[in-house]
Amino acid sequence: MRFPFTRRAAAADTAPGVHAQPFWSYRPRSDREAGDAVVSNLLLHWFPSQVYKPSLAWNYSAWLGTITGALFFLLVLSGLPLMFLYVPSVERAYQSVKDLEYVVTFGWWIRAVHRIGAHLMVIAVVLHLARVFFTGAYKNGVGQGQRREWNWVIGVVMLLLTLFLSFTGYLLPWDQLAFWAVTVGTNIASAVPGVGPRMRELMIGGRAIEQATLIRFYVLHIIVLPGALGALVAYHMWRIRKDGGLAKADAAALPSEARDTGPVPTKTYTLLGVARGTSPAVTARSPEAPDLTVNAVPDLTRRALIVVLGTFALVSILASAIPSPLEEPANALITPNPAKAPWYFLWLQEIVTDTTVRFGSFTINGAFLGGVILPGLLVALLTVWPWLDRSPASAAGLWFPKSRRRQNLVFLLLMILILAFTFVGMFMRGPYWNLYWPWETWPGIPGRI
Amino acid sequence: MEKRTSSPFPRIDRPVLAAIGIVLVGATVFFAWSDRQHDYKYYQYRFRQMVAEKLGAERADTIPAGLQQVWVPGLRRADRCVTCHQAVSWKGFETAEEPYRTHPVELLRSHPPERFGCSACHGGQGWAVDTAAAHGEVAHWEEPLLGKPLGEAYSLVDNKAALMQMNCNICHRYERETRGADMINLAKRLVQEKGCRACHVINNRGGTIGPDLTWIGDKAPEQYDMTRLSGQATAFAWHVAHFKDPKQMVQDTVMPNFHLSTKEAQALAMLMLSWRKAPFDAAFLPGVPRTDPQTAEERQAEADMKSGPGAWFVQTGCFVCHSIAALKVRSPAQIGPDLSTAVEDTQKRFGVTVDQFLKNPTGTMSVVLSRQIVLTPEQKDVAIQKLREAFAEYQRLVAEGKNPLAAAAEGGQK
Repeated sequence: MRFPFTRRAAAADTAPGVHAQPFWSYRPRSDREAGDAVVSNLLLHWFPSQVYKPSLAWNYSAWLGTITGALFFLLVLSGLPLMFLYVPSVERAYQSVKDLEYVVTFGWWIRAVHRIGAHLMVIAVVLHLARVFFTGAYKNGVGQGQRREWNWVIGVVMLLLTLFLSFTGYLLPWDQLAFWAVTVGTNIASAVPGVGPRMRELMIGGRAIEQATLIRFYVLHIIVLPGALGALVAYHMWRIRKDGGLAKADAAALPSEARDTGPVPTKTYTLLGVARGTSPAVTARSPEAPDLTVNAVPDLTRRALIVVLGTFALVSILASAIPSPLEEPANALITPNPAKAPWYFLWLQEIVTDTTVRFGSFTINGAFLGGVILPGLLVALLTVWPWLDRSPASAAGLWFPKSRRRQNLVFLLLMILILAFTFVGMFMRGPYWNLYWPWETWPGIPGRI
Repeated sequence: MEKRTSSPFPRIDRPVLAAIGIVLVGATVFFAWSDRQHDYKYYQYRFRQMVAEKLGAERADTIPAGLQQVWVPGLRRADRCVTCHQAVSWKGFETAEEPYRTHPVELLRSHPPERFGCSACHGGQGWAVDTAAAHGEVAHWEEPLLGKPLGEAYSLVDNKAALMQMNCNICHRYERETRGADMINLAKRLVQEKGCRACHVINNRGGTIGPDLTWIGDKAPEQYDMTRLSGQATAFAWHVAHFKDPKQMVQDTVMPNFHLSTKEAQALAMLMLSWRKAPFDAAFLPGVPRTDPQTAEERQAEADMKSGPGAWFVQTGCFVCHSIAALKVRSPAQIGPDLSTAVEDTQKRFGVTVDQFLKNPTGTMSVVLSRQIVLTPEQKDVAIQKLREAFAEYQRLVAEGKNPLAAAAEGGQK
């Protein structure tokens, strides 16, 4: 396809640095066009031309990072129409969400996709972090200039950003669930000694959750946090390329016996026809040996497509099947019983409860321990762990290697504990924060009439 | 072209991708189809048929299709009820079943829907477009449709559709009598007769022994203690049970049992829930009183009690339970004995003089004098003095051949 004017200025075709066609071409007429096409295509630019076969295995990475990326993309996509329809004002936020739910064409579905996608993203991010920990994928192999530990730190920051994105989105419907979840969440944050109350004041723009809080959370939710996350995603991806792909690929780079690879060329590229040709048969000890790698297009891209489209399909089906709740309009005078933090902070709320001790009229508030010390310590440990992990480089890219057994078990135990506390907070805490078994029914919530 | 080993999984990858593609298309069709599913489509189709049968196809063609709403900015309401209830302003469907019935004309004339919407009177969720959600029979919607089904669920005496009168009274609260709101009118008469203001502040006037009832309708259901309530745990059910027997709901209450009938208790519960703040401006209330003034006679009677010979008993609060007929003080509740004869009555009832009884009260009075009306020793001396004066006046009246106690009792029955 060509624009008419480019035919007149035929000289432009040959001018250096000019790509006269409106789109990149699948059928390049020259090596130059083919090279241009590779460079200007996001996916071809993103992936290497060849990838180490075992890196693509479902049971190594479970493609959790790709799933997270797909969810983030879906959230941005579904967030755009929501921005046109949602009104970030205390008077109108609730009714604009009601309108989305009831009268906007596909409104309920877009909102449900955004909600389910956000919940799934928190889960996917945490699972991704767990996978990277269990496989020691933050460890450097033998490659030069590898900085995997820094990509891990970026990942921890992105986890926190994801949680904060979800938390800021929680408030926007301005219903009782939103209002009180944010009340509980920000109250936990205010337990930091000294600066806590000021931090809370800065966060919610005053001393009560009001219009100032809503607009703050809204701007953070739609511009600041997604922008920061998007930039970090790009850097995260770039670092993976610079670190030589997944940690799994490092295993191939370890010294090994030279193998006869048969009469195929090595170190040549045949992506969209660039640098055609053959070279003499060689023996290879390179990680890019042809018998260990596959072409990114289509083997990697097809799998990526399966993961991304599969994620979309799953979210869409869940969104159609699970109605998004919208409780009563926010009311600062009526606390729902029980008032719970967002589910991914419930383990903290549960620990705050369990560490709050009463001696008669004297109370030791657990908010400092459960809400500040413990999560702070966990995040700090996560951040510096690559430097504390002294296991050999050969442990990278393997599930539960012997040399990392102890730290993996401790990590697993912590994850299980957090899950258990979350479960108790979600399903076993009823009115007045009393404990109930999951199969017990809570006392009915009274109505007006 | 060079040869490379292909992916170890290409055979399975392609059909998997194809299957995912099909699932994605299916998911898209599913949500697009779900979005089209609405009850109103059938109701609009049926109503169009009914109009065509009755008034001809030409009239039927004028019925709008699709989502309809009444948007009332002043009330911040978008009522989509008319999407299904299309017959509201069509003459000739007065006897049809809902949602094809004509709305009573007289009420629409004084409350045009374009000014008041629907849900301001009827309750329910105006935003919603499907039956259950619109009628408020869903979680997290606290304003259900105040129609017959709900009235039947509460076994309302006589008029099952009376619950809607609660919403009338949000605007008409200061009227002594509102046309068409018989239950609310009954409740308002009871408030006057039983003298609720002796203990409760209502519209800025009244005693402070009980809680202020002016905006009691805004009290959240969570703030009621429902533990002693059997059956439905709602604020309405609580009020009905509480009016029938206050002690059963609140054990240490001093509110007397007025032995109200079920209908009276239901009417009063409706009145309580109707005392809510109106979330709109005064422009919506032309011709409706905006304050709660007393009549000249009521003011006179109150002034007489407050400044007459029995003024001390009124100011101290004794009159809430006790009349002092000899001093022309009439208790609204009349729970305790008339204090005109207290001087000899304490001897009969408790076997002690009135001095001893006030200093060491027993029974109900020990509770009242330690919590509701706390008197210093000096005030108790004044009380004894006043009670002696009242008894002297009583004896004087009896000597004149009058019976003040009988007169007061008659007055109370009026």
